[in-house]
Parts: sequence; C-alpha cells; structure tokens
Amino acid sequence: MSTEGVTITKTGEQGAFGGELLTVNFGPHHPSTHGVLRLIVDLDGEQVRRVKPVIGYLHTGIEKQMEALRWQQGVVVTDRHDYLSPPINNLAYALAVERLMGVDVPPRAQALRVIMSELTRLSSHLVWMGTSGLELGAMSMLMYCFRERDTILDMNEEISGFRMHTSYIRPGGVMADATPRFLEMLDAFIGAMPGHIDEYENLLTMNPIWRSRTIGIGRLSPEDAKVLGASGPMIRGSGIPWDLRKAMPYSGYENYEFEVATSDDCDCYGRYLVRIKEMREAVKILRQALDRLPDGPVNVDDRKMLPPPREELETSMEAVIHHFKLFTEGYSVPPGDVYVAVESGRGENGCYVVSDGTHKPRRVKFRSASFVNLQALERMALNHMVADMVAIIGTADAVLGDVDR
Amino acid sequence: MSSRGPLLPAENLVVEQGVSAGDAWVTVDPANIKQALQSMKDDGYRLLVFLTCVDHLADASRTWPARYELVYQLRNLETKDLLRVRAFVDGDPPHIDSVHDLFPPANWDERETYDLFGVVFNDHPELTRILMPDDWVGHPLRRDYPVGGEVVEFSEEHQTWQTAPEDA
Repeated sequence: MSTEGVTITKTGEQGAFGGELLTVNFGPHHPSTHGVLRLIVDLDGEQVRRVKPVIGYLHTGIEKQMEALRWQQGVVVTDRHDYLSPPINNLAYALAVERLMGVDVPPRAQALRVIMSELTRLSSHLVWMGTSGLELGAMSMLMYCFRERDTILDMNEEISGFRMHTSYIRPGGVMADATPRFLEMLDAFIGAMPGHIDEYENLLTMNPIWRSRTIGIGRLSPEDAKVLGASGPMIRGSGIPWDLRKAMPYSGYENYEFEVATSDDCDCYGRYLVRIKEMREAVKILRQALDRLPDGPVNVDDRKMLPPPREELETSMEAVIHHFKLFTEGYSVPPGDVYVAVESGRGENGCYVVSDGTHKPRRVKFRSASFVNLQALERMALNHMVADMVAIIGTADAVLGDVDR
Repeated sequence: MSSRGPLLPAENLVVEQGVSAGDAWVTVDPANIKQALQSMKDDGYRLLVFLTCVDHLADASRTWPARYELVYQLRNLETKDLLRVRAFVDGDPPHIDSVHDLFPPANWDERETYDLFGVVFNDHPELTRILMPDDWVGHPLRRDYPVGGEVVEFSEEHQTWQTAPEDA
C-alpha cells in the first residue's frame, strides 16, 4: 500500500494531445471498485496511460489465522476470503486436506458438493451482473439479479443454516444431508432459472447502452491472457476453453455433461456473454445432479476424522472418547504438501496446504483468481477513456476480499 | 487426473525429486533458480500458478535444509501436468533471484512473499509491501511473528488517535 494522499498531480510528462499527463486517484472508496481498490491512473486528456493498482485495504490475515486453527476449524475461515463463493472456497480446502489424508468422500457428498458449487457460481455471477449493470446505467438489473440470488441464499439457509458463510463443505464430506425441502426448492429453482436468464438477456444483450459501453472495451488478447495467468471468465472471454472442471475434473465433474463457455470477442461484452452461458450451463449441471442424486452417507465413515452420530454417544464409550479427542485436540494430517485447484465463478481458486504432521496446518496458501486477474487490469485499460475503467474493473470481477485475503 | 510423471528438463539442476500426495515436485539449488525455471518453461511449463514461501522454523516433521522454502507451482497448459519447484534459502533476510521476467504473474506474488515473509527477490522492479501498510514492521507470516497482539487502529490503545492535541 502506498500512503501518498494524492488526488491530482501533474507529472511533467508531455501527452499526445498537447497537455501534461495527470495522475488521478481512483478509489479506494469508489462505488465501482466492488470493495476497496485504489488505482493510481496516469491520464493523457481522458485517455489512460498507466494504471497502478494499490491493494491491501481488505487484508485480514486469513493465511496466518489458518495456522492458528485446527484442521476442522479452518473451514470457517476459508468461507471469508472470496465472500461471494464460500462453498467453492470450502471445497478447495476440503479436497486438499482429503488428498493429504488419502480419503475419498461418498458419492452423495460429491453430488451435494457439485450442487452447492454450481449454486454458488450462479449467485456469484448474479451479483456480478447486477452490480455491473448498475454501474453502467442499467439500474433494474440489480433488482432482478438479487431476486434470484435471494432464492439461492434461502437454499443455503435451508441446507446449512447459514445464508452466506455456509461452511457446508468440510474435509470428509458435507455438514449435513440435504433436507427434502431443500431438494424441492432446488427443483423449483432449476425450473424457473432458465426463464430468469432470458429476462436478463432481454434487458442487456441487445441493450444499445450496454453494448456501446462494453463492446471493444477492455481488450485482452488470448496470448496476453495466457501469459498473465488469467483464469475463469477472463481467459474464456478471450477464446481459450480453459476450465478446471473439464481440464482437471474434481468431485465427479467428469460425469456431468456441460459445455465450456467461451467467446472470441476478447472484450467486456465477451466476458459478459461467457458468464451468461456459464449460468445456463450451471443450471444444466444442477438438473443432472438433482436427477441422479445417489443415496447413501454424506460423510466418510472415519471416527478419527469426523465425530460419531449423536445417538452413539449414549451407548458407546469409544464414541465418547472419539468425540472428546476430536473436539479437544482435533485430528492430525500426515506430513506433506498438496495443491488443489477448483473453478470458482472468478477462475482458478486454489489451495496449497502444507502439513507438518500436527493437528494444525503448517501453511495454507490461497491462490486466488482475483489477485492474478487484477494484474491484467493495466493491459486491459490502456488507451481507454477513464470512464471505461468502470466497465473494465467490473468485468474483471475481482472480489477484493479474495485479492487481499 | 492426468499422469503426473515428472518430466525432468534440467536433470543437472535438480537436487532432489519426489511426489507428495500425488503432486510431483523437484528441489533445485536456489542459486540456479532462474536457470532451472527457464529450462522448465522451455519444456512446456509455461504458467506459474502461484509462488509462495513456507517457514519451517521448529518443524520437526523432517530435517529441512534451510528455514525458508520457496514454492513455485508450474503448470503445462497442453498436457495439464503440474510440477512444483522448491528451493530452500536461509539468511536474514533471505535472498533469491526474481523470476518476474520469466513469468509475469510472479511480480505481485514476489511482492506478497517479500511483504509477508521478508524474502528479498534480487532484481525485482518494485519490491515494496503489497498487502500490509508501507510502514508496517515485521513480516507477519513468519512463524515467530505472533498471532494477535498488535494495536488495532482507532481503538482505545491507539494513543495517537485517542489523545486530542490539548490533552497531549
């Protein structure tokens, strides 16, 4: 972070239009930055010549905190870095711990994990579309998108008791089985959602204002996207069909039929089209997962990792001992390190976990898509008008909690 | 998952290799890190997924060559193979060559590693703090840096804020 309190400064450099380059402070408290992102922008007239993102305003020390918590307690913290996709963060951490412990979760838990991941992807894209629409003048988008997002949050509440930071996916399985009411709500949601996506498209896809604000703006060539390590809709919006759900499937994604959404537009509009397509694909995956939801347990049957069921505690001394050990000391994970990446709404959401064999992690590193995608901002914003910065930051879809962790 | 057979590009640069929970890794001499990563990049590992550091202070799980372990996670986008490159460095502050010119995403990752671990990357264009405030003292992710205890800004303990000029 820089502490210069600059608002506008003349740099002394000569611009192409006869004036001097001006340094303008953008943010950190700007409504379009989706959090607290500060940009130091050098302008030639109204054209952007240099962008320097200044981050760290939402740094919460999550990685440090993880080292102080036991393995099963860490799940609660993973919810909070990318606060628009908590279950996907949980999933990356849970898969990493399971890989280290050599545990495979039962099929029903895997299907529930896929359902929660796709619901989260939908809700994350809905927040993106609502707020981006709002910033570029389509005020009503926010109302439409938050209507469906609220339904998703209701489902989160039904299945986990919590609306946002669900901590639903845990090492060894999921928190609890889906209730019949959840499955009913999900069924109704899957039925209604394609119609709602049509509504959003009616409002935006051919909207002349939306198109003129996004087409040709924020161009990111496929080569740049690859070199800069972009992922998620950022790389797919540049025409590269890279999706971890297809490239390196996890949690049984190889069993679902869906297409990887791409667009060759390479601009803000292309990234919008990718997200719309991804929402339609997410609904398809949800339908398949619900129709084929297998029966069976939702947790691994390992008393050294997960607590025994409540009934057993009354009859079995061993269960009481396991319960006591798990909630006082926790379980330990064999020494080693592992990197697991999952596809979140923003791209590659990875978790690198190092265990030293004790009951707390030695190191947990979150590889966040937003942090890497934000580095492409300068490339995208170069030579655009300063007003277009809003569209470009919007379609980069960086969640600042995820950037700063 | 695709086969993760470690394709060893620069055999002579690799000190040790192995597999941890299904992930292939190689250890290289920190003095040769740039050379090693260059040869791996030429070999198809074109994406640096992330770069970070692990502090092995008082880690009894095995004997470690040095306190700080730098981790470079590479990916081959065509074959989808992953390869983790590790380099152990010591010293206060520890030094290693920057790889921002090989892999552009390393720029911010190196700044973050410098900020949180105090590892100095030689020849980095702008090695400044990125997540913590500029005037922060210490490197929070080192294992000897305590959790909690720092004065919270604008709290009662925060004297500079609390004391009005006339009472000072």
